[in-house]
Amino acid sequence: MLRMTNLSKVYRTHMIETHALRGFEIHVNKGEFVTVTGPSGSGKTSFLNIAGLLEEFTEGEYILDGVNVKGMDDNARSRLRNEKLGFIFQGFNLIPDLSLFDNVDVPLRYRGFNAAERKERIEDALAKVGLASRMKHYPAELSGGQQQRVAIARALAGSPKLLLADEPTGNLDTQMARGVMELLEEINAQGTTILMVTHDPELAVRSQRNVHIIDGQVSDLVRKSPTLFDAKAAAGTHAG
Amino acid sequence: MFQYYFMLGLRSLRRNPALTALMVLTLAIGVAASVSTLTILHVMSGNPIPHKSDRLLVPLIDVGPLLDYTPGDAPEDVQMTYTDARNLLKSGQGERRTAIYGIAAAVEPARKDIGVFSAQGLAATADFFAMFEAPFLHGQAWGEAEDASGAQVVVLGRAMAEKLFGQTNPVGQRVTMMGGSYQVVGVLEKWIPIPRYYRLISGLGSFGTEDEYMIPFQAAINGKNQNNGNTNCTANSGAGYQAFIDSECTWIQFWFEAKSSAERATLQTYMDGYVAEQRKLGRLKRNVAPKLFDVMEWMEYNKVIGNDSKLSAWLAFAFLLLCLVNAIGLLLAKFSVRAAEVGIRRALGASQREIFRQFLIETAVVGLAGGVLGLLLTFGALALIAMQSKQMAIVAHMDWVMLTFTFILSVAAAMLAGLLPTWRACQVTPAMQLKSQ
Repeated sequence: MLRMTNLSKVYRTHMIETHALRGFEIHVNKGEFVTVTGPSGSGKTSFLNIAGLLEEFTEGEYILDGVNVKGMDDNARSRLRNEKLGFIFQGFNLIPDLSLFDNVDVPLRYRGFNAAERKERIEDALAKVGLASRMKHYPAELSGGQQQRVAIARALAGSPKLLLADEPTGNLDTQMARGVMELLEEINAQGTTILMVTHDPELAVRSQRNVHIIDGQVSDLVRKSPTLFDAKAAAGTHAG
Repeated sequence: MFQYYFMLGLRSLRRNPALTALMVLTLAIGVAASVSTLTILHVMSGNPIPHKSDRLLVPLIDVGPLLDYTPGDAPEDVQMTYTDARNLLKSGQGERRTAIYGIAAAVEPARKDIGVFSAQGLAATADFFAMFEAPFLHGQAWGEAEDASGAQVVVLGRAMAEKLFGQTNPVGQRVTMMGGSYQVVGVLEKWIPIPRYYRLISGLGSFGTEDEYMIPFQAAINGKNQNNGNTNCTANSGAGYQAFIDSECTWIQFWFEAKSSAERATLQTYMDGYVAEQRKLGRLKRNVAPKLFDVMEWMEYNKVIGNDSKLSAWLAFAFLLLCLVNAIGLLLAKFSVRAAEVGIRRALGASQREIFRQFLIETAVVGLAGGVLGLLLTFGALALIAMQSKQMAIVAHMDWVMLTFTFILSVAAAMLAGLLPTWRACQVTPAMQLKSQ
């Protein structure tokens, strides 16, 4: 699904060069649930932004679902992002003056679906996250957990191949976080590949594989049991 | 996507209502200032008779003296002498010909309830009505025989006909005026060409005046009617009416109607020959070729639109530019708080081009709102201008062309102002915005 080979990302200013990623190698298979951990400034976010085609990399190769993204122009990258990727952010990132229906509608508009198909997909996605009855509500009328569910519905509505989640439970209390995590596990169980950045070791152990990043390089790969439910059973143990 | 972006634009008007209102108002004031001055220019400069304006031709003969003359000087006057008018009327050139001058008459109504009043009219030949397509309500123009004999017949303007005879058809009735009894042969519909191109040189101005009656040119000459308008004499014309009409004073406006625009060259050749002949006879002193002007050229030559009108239009556009600079600042402020939304949309698959489209359409919606308000302000401004004078009341009105132009100007201005803020919105780095949320 995702393969990065010898990838580097350098931020340059007039004075200094900062290597966010160097010699970065990762391969995520279809259907995997991979968590990415690492200390602040280790390059997790740069990795996720590059994986999400929100930033360009400096050197190396990145193949997303069989497509080499190097040298793609903005239009092609945007189309690929829209078709293959779904995003979930720590801050939910819903558009406040759009209803839940219209928020979920945003990526579908860019995909060019007709009105009937968009409506069906929006209703399905919101039903999946348990918010079908609140389509006309606005984000401010929902709790944090509910807002994150809407963000998940928005990410799912376009049937992405890869879901990129940047600390999706970081702004939620324990109960809400658990609910969101269970929802992500369900989505993964239905075949969607998930790549999740987290600081929470408990969440990391629930994934099939944890990738630890230090100083812009993958320092450790911990392969967990192949099923999530096994991982759930192993909850309480810490990744090495 | 246009419909989607348009709907987003409408919603966006509700976001930051104070900022939006300020933007719409800024744009509306700029648009109203430009459109109201342009409306007046548009009406003033319109072609009053588009289908034949290139066939209606004014000959200009320079009859000025040699004293103080430098070759290349403009003629003393743009009107014609009686001698030339009479000769050209007889020339048979063109399809139609007419000579016009203004007259003022004391009218003595048959009705006892109206006292004697003064009315302003025209002396012209019968061709006048067909040449300028004056619309008849009753009756018709007089004929060639009346022209030749100078018969006392009159065509009344509608207002004067109603004043004298009420709503009845007065054709065949008689009107006592200028000491004679004139038989009514026709009544015109209300007819106010804008501008009054057929007689630009008069004390009445080019706009908003209606001739109250018309009598045959020869009847006016026979009746020794003085010109009620501008008369230009470069030498003493001598005593008496006959001496005046035989002099080189200019006071008549003359028009040819050519059969086709191609006949203009024939008329020019004829006029060249005529002027050469008159110079040979010793009448014309200056060695200047005669000129022909069609309607639009004639209006341009006579500066129907004065330089002050053009200057005010430029000033109004400068003001619009100032408003646009303000609008750019306001749009920058409005769009700067939308960086997070841009980041989200980019992450969800919007290309920079799509963001550009969305924000540009959004500014177009602001432009439309500015256009609606601008239109209301323009109507207000035109109403104020119309209150200045009767002439301004005629030109200060809006037509469909200007109404459409108002919206186009407003939307184009808004989009122009929106280019920089929109471009800046497109430059948002989505990754930074998404993380900072």
